[in-house]
Amino acid sequence: MSVMPLLVICSILVAGGFLLAFLFATRRGQYDDLGTPAVRMLFDDVEPK
Amino acid sequence: MNQQNTHTIDHHLHCAHCGDVCADASITLSDHVFCCTGCASVYELLQEHNLCGYYQDGVQTGVSQQQSHRDRQAYAILDDPTVAARFVEFADQRRIRMRFALPTMHCASCVWLLERLPHIQSGLISAEVDLQRKTIVVDVVPGALRVRDVAELLRSFGYEPLIHVEGNELSREQQRKEATRGLYLRLGVAGFAMGNIMMFSIAQYLAHRNGTTTIDPTLVAVFTWLSIGLSIPVYVYSASPWLRSAWAALRQGTVNLDIPVALGITTLFVRSIADIATGASEGFLDSFAGLVFFLLIGRVFQQKAFDAVTFDRTVRSFFPLSVRRDTPLGEEVVAIDALRVGDTIAIRNGEVIPADAVLLSPVGYIDYAFVTGESVPVECSRGAMVYAGGKVVGTALQLTATRPVSQGYLASLWERSSARTSRDGYRALSDRFGRLFIWAVITIAAVGFVLWLPDIPVALSVFTAVVIIACPCALTLAAPITLGTAMGILGRRKIYAKNIDVLAALDDIGAVVFDKTGTLTSSQPNVVFHGDELTHDEYAAVVSVASHSTHPISRGLASGVSCAKDVGDVTEVAGRGITGIAHGHRVHIGSMHFLAEYGIADPKEMHRHATMVAVDGQIVGEVTPRAEFREGVGELLSALRQQGQRCELLTGDSDRDRDLVSALFEQDAMTFRASPSDKVDHLEQLRRRTRVLMIGDGLNDMSAMAVADVSIAVTDNTSTLAPASDMIIPATHIRHIADLLRYAHSLRNVIHVALWFTMLYNVVVIAIALTGRLTPVITAIMMPLSSLLVIGISVGGAHLFARRVA
Repeated sequence: MSVMPLLVICSILVAGGFLLAFLFATRRGQYDDLGTPAVRMLFDDVEPK
Repeated sequence: MNQQNTHTIDHHLHCAHCGDVCADASITLSDHVFCCTGCASVYELLQEHNLCGYYQDGVQTGVSQQQSHRDRQAYAILDDPTVAARFVEFADQRRIRMRFALPTMHCASCVWLLERLPHIQSGLISAEVDLQRKTIVVDVVPGALRVRDVAELLRSFGYEPLIHVEGNELSREQQRKEATRGLYLRLGVAGFAMGNIMMFSIAQYLAHRNGTTTIDPTLVAVFTWLSIGLSIPVYVYSASPWLRSAWAALRQGTVNLDIPVALGITTLFVRSIADIATGASEGFLDSFAGLVFFLLIGRVFQQKAFDAVTFDRTVRSFFPLSVRRDTPLGEEVVAIDALRVGDTIAIRNGEVIPADAVLLSPVGYIDYAFVTGESVPVECSRGAMVYAGGKVVGTALQLTATRPVSQGYLASLWERSSARTSRDGYRALSDRFGRLFIWAVITIAAVGFVLWLPDIPVALSVFTAVVIIACPCALTLAAPITLGTAMGILGRRKIYAKNIDVLAALDDIGAVVFDKTGTLTSSQPNVVFHGDELTHDEYAAVVSVASHSTHPISRGLASGVSCAKDVGDVTEVAGRGITGIAHGHRVHIGSMHFLAEYGIADPKEMHRHATMVAVDGQIVGEVTPRAEFREGVGELLSALRQQGQRCELLTGDSDRDRDLVSALFEQDAMTFRASPSDKVDHLEQLRRRTRVLMIGDGLNDMSAMAVADVSIAVTDNTSTLAPASDMIIPATHIRHIADLLRYAHSLRNVIHVALWFTMLYNVVVIAIALTGRLTPVITAIMMPLSSLLVIGISVGGAHLFARRVA
């Protein structure tokens, strides 16, 4: 059972990584508009001439 | 006739850009026909940049360029740095970020086109669209493009940016976004902490059997300390909206709805830490984190529901946003707020005078249709006072402002009238009720705690459950959400209410008072020609010449002909008359004074105030506006009578049209030749008996409208707001006023249902909570649920009954 504290701490660190990713994404505004990206991905990219 | 119509439609040419019908095939470009050069140039631009995929991808075609052919000067105001700054969100050395509201954006092709603007226009770094909010954020290379350039670029593609937004409209949008982000961040932290604390707790719960534990004590210590570590950010950060709000209220010596919640959260947290410290128990940190998490989720849902309700309520300003000011260096365009007493301003044809002023031009014509309801322009000469709200007709005028804008005539009327409606609100009532409610809940919770006292964990759970679950929010939500939704629904049907209190006040109306001119009758009159028999050619000549004028009487005379082509030598003296040659006849239309200037004399020296018509130098007759009821007036009155409303006519006009009107009103319900003060007296008398709704045409009945309990302005053009009224309704919708009254009554019922539901819910739920069967997490789930149900009742009810209006 002595491995448990280590595992627990590891799991918290992994989960904490996801939490940081979420906080980062939110701060960058990725959750600001949930509607338009669904439309935007339908178009092909056009290279400017 | 019908057949001919269908025949022609089949052969109409449709614009390749916007799909509108083209008048002729004169504008073509690589085998495509366009309705206007604007559409053609957009097409050309797209083709040039290899972006014609726009026309294939699009569900709908482009936005017509014809409608947006506005005076380019409209954007000159954006050269004013203070105005331009409203659109700039952020700026550094590499980019300037601007945000515009584009109301015409509507579909996937709009997203496609707008986000490819950087391919077309150099100086643009990126463009990003929010389709739901109809906004675009553009990054611009500093120095390459000004705000005005971007606005004009957007307009040239048919997306006219809204520049008449309230100054802080866009920054409010920014604040809203910040608030939502903050909520998500708090939710993320709370969810993370909750998940992990629950895992530790489950291990401890499972290990507990028959009072002994099978778990390693050091592991328990690790779990406990980790739980504490995880719960601190939850208390300090995630729960801060409630804690801060409650603290602020306490410091001001008042109570608010967040206090019970803050109390519940704090009780759980502090008690848990104390228990752990003393070794009394493992605490309830899992409950605590779960509580905060679900409270936050509830808040997200509430905010989403509320956003959906309150969104789309852009109020366009009544005054022109900018004004041209004369300076020693020439003309400059300044924001209206920047106008000072003594400034010289220039107001052009059709523009509204923003402030009381003195006329500098030798002579001017001002249409006080907003103010007096009379659309016949008033003549003023140099030195005369002109008043805010007047619309300049004909030649541009030079004015000196004599009173600052905010103190102008219209502004003061607007302020006064809004003070009236906010007084009799339901808000004060619900505030007082909410305060009582909070004390009651805290008392009940305390009593529950004492009753369970020997068993501290249960007592504590009961206390928190009662405090959290008792939901007074519904009390504060029901009325604003129901009425706000209704306001939005009506707004989409072009019926605008000033605020939600107006809709509440519209219930319980006992008498409806109508003004005549511009309300029951059209403000763009049908005209009657009295005089000699005219030959066909002469008649055609009169109509053709009249069609070149913008004056209401001429417009009536021309009846639909917009601008006849075969007219020569046209001279119009704004507001006085017009002359021209058509079909071989010289035609004069205008006042006697105007005709006299051309050497045409009235032999009988009469009709001094009528509009005269002369053909080839001979007076042939006069034109008078004919009173005619708007469509739907009869229907409206009979519908109102069915509802038991007393209908009255109150007009300043002479009783010339008495016969016409008595078909609609009873003899004792008609008052003619009422001066403004007579109107006020009459309404005040009426108000002693019942609640009065005044229906007028905008500003002329201002004083009367201010006296009435609710006032509705009937307008031919909703883009010009009538500040004195509580509601604005387009003339075409006049028949729906009766439905509107019924709707207001239904809305009150909806609010009552929501309130009764809340009361019932609270009684039941508090009773259950007192039995100690509700854990804090369940209460946290149920609490937002009840608010959402109330929102559902309110929004659903408002939509359900709205089907009968308009």
